[in-house]
Amino acid sequence: MNALTIVQIQRQEEKKRRFFSVVFLLKMAVVILFLLVPFWFSSFESIDLAFKVMIFAVLVASFDILLGYTGILSFGHVMFFGIGGYSVAMLIGKYGTATYFHLALGFLIALAVTLILALVISFLSLRVKAIFFAMVTLAIAEFAIILATKLSGFTGGEDGISISAPGIFKVSFQYGTLLGLDITGRIVTYYFALICCLALFVMLLRFVDSPLGRVLQAIRDNEARAEAIGYKAFIFKTISICFGCLVATLCGGLYVMWVGYANPESILGIPIMLDVLLMVIVGGMGTLYGGLAGAAFLKLAHAYLPDLQHLARQLLPAAHLLHATLERWLLLFGVLFILVVFFFPRGIIGSVQGYLDRRNTARKA
Amino acid sequence: MTKAHRHIVTKGSTLAVAGALALGLLPLFGMDAKTYLTLTIAGIAMGMMLFLVASGLSLIFGLMDVINFAHGVCFAWGAYVAFSVFKAGAGWVEADSLLKNFSIFALAVLAAMAVVGIVGMVVERVLVRRVYGSHLFQILITFGAMVVLTELIRILWGPNDEVMPVPLTFRGNWDLFDIIVLKYPIIAIAVGLLVYGSLQLILRRTKVGKIVRAGVQDPEMVQAMGHNVFLFFTMVFAAGAALAAVGGMAMAIFNLQVYPDMGDAYLIFAFIVVIIGGLGSITGSLVGALIVGLSYNYVAYLMPPLAVGVNILIMVLILLIRPTGLFSAGK
Repeated sequence: MNALTIVQIQRQEEKKRRFFSVVFLLKMAVVILFLLVPFWFSSFESIDLAFKVMIFAVLVASFDILLGYTGILSFGHVMFFGIGGYSVAMLIGKYGTATYFHLALGFLIALAVTLILALVISFLSLRVKAIFFAMVTLAIAEFAIILATKLSGFTGGEDGISISAPGIFKVSFQYGTLLGLDITGRIVTYYFALICCLALFVMLLRFVDSPLGRVLQAIRDNEARAEAIGYKAFIFKTISICFGCLVATLCGGLYVMWVGYANPESILGIPIMLDVLLMVIVGGMGTLYGGLAGAAFLKLAHAYLPDLQHLARQLLPAAHLLHATLERWLLLFGVLFILVVFFFPRGIIGSVQGYLDRRNTARKA
Repeated sequence: MTKAHRHIVTKGSTLAVAGALALGLLPLFGMDAKTYLTLTIAGIAMGMMLFLVASGLSLIFGLMDVINFAHGVCFAWGAYVAFSVFKAGAGWVEADSLLKNFSIFALAVLAAMAVVGIVGMVVERVLVRRVYGSHLFQILITFGAMVVLTELIRILWGPNDEVMPVPLTFRGNWDLFDIIVLKYPIIAIAVGLLVYGSLQLILRRTKVGKIVRAGVQDPEMVQAMGHNVFLFFTMVFAAGAALAAVGGMAMAIFNLQVYPDMGDAYLIFAFIVVIIGGLGSITGSLVGALIVGLSYNYVAYLMPPLAVGVNILIMVLILLIRPTGLFSAGK
C-alpha cells in the first residue's frame, strides 16, 4: 500500500468536513423548505408558486448545461419542454385514457421524440458556425409554435388540451390527513414532482462534475485546444444537447401533470424562452444552482408585481407613465436583463461564488 | 478576386439559379396561370421586402461579426413610424393625386429611416459596442434590446393591432390583358430593386463602400490603414436598421396592419434568408429572399400550415449542401 499523496490527504480532509460546511447546510435548508411548503402555506397560490419555482429551477439548470457548461446558445429549449408537456397531455387526455400506463408512455414517447429531434438539430447546425445554432433553433422553435397552433385537429390549437391526471395524481383524489395536512391529488403530485426534480438536479450536478462534463467545460473554454487533446467537440456537444433537452422534456411532462393543460402559450411560447434565458442570466451561467436562484427570483417577482403596481397607484395616482411602464413587466425585465449582462455577467450565484473564492484565497495567502 | 473565389461564386450562382427555376416551375402543376402569376408577383414582392430586412442583417454580420437579434424590432419600428406619418398626413394619403400620395410615401420612408437609423445608432453605441468579440454576449444583449424596444412600441403606440393606411393611388389594381395585377406589390418590387441597385452602387463605386467591403474581409487591416473602423461600424449598423425600417413599412402597407410583435416573425424569415444566401453578401440576401418569398407564397396557397415549414426545409437543405450559404463573403 502506497503512502497517500498530499492531494489524496486533502481530499479525505474535505470529505470529512463536507457535511458541516455552510454551503451544504444551505442546500439542505432549501430542500427542507420545499418539503415544508404545503405544511406552512395552505393556499393553492403558494404551493403553485413553489411548484413552478422547482420545475423552472430544473429546466433552467438543464438549459445551463448547454449555455453555461458547453457554450451553446439554443432558443429551442422551451420547445422540448413543450414536447414533454404535449406528449403527456395527448397520451392521458386526447388520445388515451388517464392511466399510469399512458402517463409513463407519454413520458417515454416524449423522450424518444426529443432525442430524435435533438440529434437532427445537432447534426444540422453544429457542423456550421456556432453562431448559426441560435438562429436555426429560433427558427425551428417558431415553427413548432406555428404547428401547435395551426394543426388544431392534432394539438387542440390555441386552446390546447386539458387533462385530468390518473389515479393518485388526480385533483379530486383524497386519502385523509397526515400531520394536519390533507393528502389530496395536488399534494401527491407536488411531492412526486419534488422527488423527480431533486433526482434530476442531482443527476445534473453529477453530470457536470463527471469526466464528460469536464470535457464539455474544456470545449466551452477553448474548443480548438480540446480538439487538439483529442476530444471531438462535435460528438461531445451533441451529447450535451441531447442530455439537456431530455431533462427539459421531463420537466415539461411534470409541469403539465400539475397545471392540467397544455397549450402553446403556456409551454411553448417565446416569452417562456425569454423567462428561462433571464433566469439563467440572473441566477448565474455555469453554476446550475443559478437555475434555482433565477427561477425563485423571477417567479416571485412575477407573483408580487401586481402588488407593486397597486402600491404605485395608491402612492402616485397621477404618474401615468410609471403605471404604463409597470404594466409592461417585460420592459422592466428587458432592462434588468441588459443591466445584469453588463454589470453582473456571472449572476447571483456566480458573483457570490466569486466573492467566496476571493475570500478563501485571501485567507490562505 | 482570385480564380478560386470566382469559381465558388459561379458555383453558387448556378446552384441559386437552378434552385430558383425549380421553385418557379414547380407550382405550375395543378395551378392555373392567373393564380400562378398572382402568387409569383406576391412572392417576389414579399422577397423584396425580406431582402430589405435581411441585407442589413447580413451586412452587419459581415462587417462586425454581430448577429443582431434586435433587427426584427427595427422592422416594426419602421412600420410604426410610417403609420404615424400617414396618420398625421391623412389628407395627403386620402387625396386623389399621385404627387401628394407619393410625397407622403417618400416622407414616411425618410422619417422611418431617420428615426430607426438613430435608434440603431444608439443601440450600437450604447449596447453592442461593449461586447464586440463575444458572440454569446452579443446575442444576449441584442435580444435584450429587442425586448425593450418591442415594449417601447407597446407603450408609445399602444398594444393593439392597428390598420395601416394606404395612399389612395397605391390601392387597387391594374388590368393587363385580363390579368389582374395588384398595384402595391409592383411598387414594393420597384422599391426593393431601387434599394438593391443603390446598395450595389454605394458598395462598388464609392470610397465608403470600398472601406466597408474591405472591413468585411479584414477590419483590423482597415483600422491599420488609418480609417476609423468603429465609425463605419456605427454607420453600417444605423444603415442596416434604416433598411429594416423601410422593409417594415413596406410590409405593413402590404399586409394593411401594424402590430407590436410584427418584427418577430420577419426576424425568423430574415435569419432563414441570410442562412440560405450566406452571411455578408448583398446578392446572397436578394437570392435568398426571393427563394423564401416565392416558396412561402406558393406553399401558403397549396398547403397553408406548411408555409413556414417549407422555408425551414430549404434552409436545412442548404445547410446540408453548402453550410456557409449560397453566396458567402469575407471570413
